[in-house]
Amino acid sequence: MEIYKADVVIVGGGGAGLRAAIAVAESDPSLKIALVSKVYPMRSHTVAAEGGAAGVKRPDDSFDYHFHDTVGGGDWLCEQDVVEYFVKQAPVELTQLEHWGCPWSRTADGHVNVRPFGGMKIQRTWFAADKSGFHILHTLFQTSIKYPSIKRFDEYFVVDLLEDEGRCQGVVAIEMATGEFTMIEGKSVILATGGAGRVFRESTLGGIVTGDGMALAFRHGVALRDMEFVQYHPTCMPITGLLFTEACRGEGGYLVNKDGYRYLQDYGLGPLQDKPKNKYMELGPRDRLSQAFWYEQQKGRTIEHPVMGSVVHLDLRHLGEAYLRERLPLIYEMAETFMGIDPAKEPIPVRAGVHYTMGGVRVAGNCESSLPGLFAIGECASVGIHGANRLGSNSLTELLVFGKVAGDEAVKKAQSLPPGNSATLLKQAQAAEQRVLALKTKTGGTERVATIRKEMVKSMEDGCGIFRVAETMQANCDKLAELRERFKNINLDDKTSVWNTDWLSAIELDYQLDVAQAMAHSAINRTESRGAHQRLDGPDGAYKVRDDVNFLKHSDAFYVPGSAPRITYGDVKITKSPPEVRVYGAAGEKADQERKASHV
Amino acid sequence: MSKRRPYVRPMGGWWKKNPFYVEYMVHESTALFVAAYAITLLVGLVRLGQGEAAWNGWLEAMKSPLSIVAHLAFLVAIAYHAFTWFKLFPLTMPPIIVNGKKLEPEVVVGSGWTAAVLAALALLGIVWRIAA
Amino acid sequence: MAPPVKRQTRKGKHPMSEQKIIEIEVLRYKPESDQAPHSEVYKVPFTDDMSVLQGVQYIKDNFDGSLTFRWSCRMAICGSCGMMINGIPKLSCESFLRDYYPNRITIEALANFPIEKDLVVDLSGFIEKLEAIQPYIIPKEPRTLEQGEYIQTPEQFSQYIQFTSCINCTLCYAACPQVGLNPDFIGPAAMALLHRYNMDSRDGGQAQRMELVASEEGVYNCSAVGYCSEVCPKHVDPGNAVNVNKINAAKDYFLRFLSPKGGAQ
Repeated sequence: MEIYKADVVIVGGGGAGLRAAIAVAESDPSLKIALVSKVYPMRSHTVAAEGGAAGVKRPDDSFDYHFHDTVGGGDWLCEQDVVEYFVKQAPVELTQLEHWGCPWSRTADGHVNVRPFGGMKIQRTWFAADKSGFHILHTLFQTSIKYPSIKRFDEYFVVDLLEDEGRCQGVVAIEMATGEFTMIEGKSVILATGGAGRVFRESTLGGIVTGDGMALAFRHGVALRDMEFVQYHPTCMPITGLLFTEACRGEGGYLVNKDGYRYLQDYGLGPLQDKPKNKYMELGPRDRLSQAFWYEQQKGRTIEHPVMGSVVHLDLRHLGEAYLRERLPLIYEMAETFMGIDPAKEPIPVRAGVHYTMGGVRVAGNCESSLPGLFAIGECASVGIHGANRLGSNSLTELLVFGKVAGDEAVKKAQSLPPGNSATLLKQAQAAEQRVLALKTKTGGTERVATIRKEMVKSMEDGCGIFRVAETMQANCDKLAELRERFKNINLDDKTSVWNTDWLSAIELDYQLDVAQAMAHSAINRTESRGAHQRLDGPDGAYKVRDDVNFLKHSDAFYVPGSAPRITYGDVKITKSPPEVRVYGAAGEKADQERKASHV
Repeated sequence: MSKRRPYVRPMGGWWKKNPFYVEYMVHESTALFVAAYAITLLVGLVRLGQGEAAWNGWLEAMKSPLSIVAHLAFLVAIAYHAFTWFKLFPLTMPPIIVNGKKLEPEVVVGSGWTAAVLAALALLGIVWRIAA
Repeated sequence: MAPPVKRQTRKGKHPMSEQKIIEIEVLRYKPESDQAPHSEVYKVPFTDDMSVLQGVQYIKDNFDGSLTFRWSCRMAICGSCGMMINGIPKLSCESFLRDYYPNRITIEALANFPIEKDLVVDLSGFIEKLEAIQPYIIPKEPRTLEQGEYIQTPEQFSQYIQFTSCINCTLCYAACPQVGLNPDFIGPAAMALLHRYNMDSRDGGQAQRMELVASEEGVYNCSAVGYCSEVCPKHVDPGNAVNVNKINAAKDYFLRFLSPKGGAQ
């Protein structure tokens, strides 16, 4: 087995991983950084983010406003001390990215421009047309090339963490081009592997979003926190799930039902507004908009299409072609290429689809998990800023802010710790190699990867949808347990070494099943409705409402080998925003004024 | 030992695989006709320097059927070369930005043609007047 | 013979579910058992909404799990899924089976790259080229974070923004015969990225990048075939970046006689 001795190992080369790598390289150029990624960094799914990144920019905005939007948007399940740090660092990091060359869209006088976004009181979303994630990722990747201490392991697939002396000390990875194993030692290991949305059927996500880092930490006894909170994005392309950014609505797009009626006014987001108004109508938060879609469907007011199913219309026509081409060029092209629709002339059919995992590897504000030396950042982590529902454009900023934090913390750790015991680590790595190789070489199985995956994503969609009831959630838990059993009987078509994606997708499926179980069991145990977790059941519908007495708590899912995960609950850190009723539109404005009055 | 064995595909006959490449090769080969015509003119110049008899000899040679056929071929080939050469303008020129927008390729090619036609007409006019 | 490149858009609206069968011929290569690549044909049931990528995924999921290809985002932004489709370099996620039916589709790994396995090519050479061009801001006037952002007028912005759109899909390398003939040629996408930084008003690194532009691997390998810009799915026009840098390199060469720092200063 190849051995590489690094100081800091980063798993995942997306926005968070790259930002962390740069932070380490800048803070101590003598440290060796291993940046390990199963795809070339610019393929990472950060690339697909469209709308933008939130950070206070305008004089009429404040950190306090951003804080309250975020905490309220998260239905008070946020770690408020972490959110306070986050909103203060946001503009610093976004400016840093500008200095590195990110082509943020600008105002006529040459300053960075900001656009409105759902659930945000003031315009504070920095954007690069509708390819913000793409530009952030490429800027970070290209900037990372400047630092010789960053050694990239591109197209290396991590299969296990190494743990000795009570701390995480490296990873074992497959070099995809050869199928051979490499042990990469490090005194700090940062997971930046992204979300897990591909456990669902219809999602906005790329094929690589399979929850690898979550599963790796989970299997090493680290809790996955708040996994029941899965964000449905209200405006996705039917069938494929491809995303039409929230910026479509930030720029003034309407959502209408089959009668051409802007239905959001019926769901506590009104009254009707002609121009985009922050926190009103189409600029409400994603959970509320996706739920409204579901209600419209129940009422029979969605448009029924023989192939696409139930859809509503995203209407951009009144914005005009020139404006759309400037602000939403990618959206324009996607509508043309994938749907044959000219959005300046026709409304776009959309429906809600899975978009983001709010939960993840439980970490403290310094991004370190309960396993010393193991950090997690970005979508794979739960550092506590999203709570029960993430506000659009907070996650791109999160990559930067906490990428930097984790990088700096990993440096401290790497500088203070002695090297590990290589012999012990190698033994562990070899055991992992044997285990993973066995999956490839074993014969006689009858199950196909694709079949199990197909059944999993269907079951998750049925059991962990926008609205949930115990019965289907239980069916989902049972189904996942069955699939876990059947996975043991898997058989691969490809038993070779070079570029064996049959094998790699089986390992991914193994990760996905673990993460899906964490989601399913966290969901069925939370007998209330909060943010993206909405239930329709309970005695007299008791679970339909938020229950702060019992569930103003984070859920923690712990791995139990061969069985369902164990779910426990932990406290939520509240500093200055005690839970309130979560309202938007006119009601939200009224509540804001009342809060202000009571503070004076 | 790595089991990688990257396979490099041969490049032989690459230009026949795509009409775009064929057009490129034709464009490139018509440059030979441009060169041939330039040489013809150059020879004329040299003959002119050698005195009246030499010059008249060259003029006579130009009138031969073979020469006329060759010149017709030059005309066709050079016209094609010019056509495809102008087509390359947007690729090879620095973009012209007017009011923050890049000039459309059609405009660039069109302006090139317009300039060429005007120049040719002017030249023709001058020659006409001298001849008259 | 391959038809000229054209952006295919959907004719007629909303896909109907009627299922048809299309033949997909894939150039397969298994390095551990094959001496050279060979073709295999699969009969794939499809609906009008299915991309070529989905066709290939169908083969992997249902017929042969060993079929190997790269893909991720499905929306033409991650740059993973480039293939030769009927001889033309394309992103398979935004090419649709219906546009080829009822004819057979042939699929092959991107041209001008070594094939690792099936549709996966060796991109390490391309990545090294990207790394070689210093693709990062070398500040003209360094600025602290407290000073806030650089000001960039719409005029300055329009100078470089087009060249930031490259998704590194390498279709332009597969389109460039000069890359095929001389794999060391720095090539269209990397040169477009170099140009992107040179044209950015925040950057002052042009002089440092000029050496590579004029080098043995540089722009003079380009014979202005122009197919790179033709196949670019993001309208980056990398061929223009290469050719404009021929002019820049020539200017730089002559101005070097006048100033020891060269023309870029």
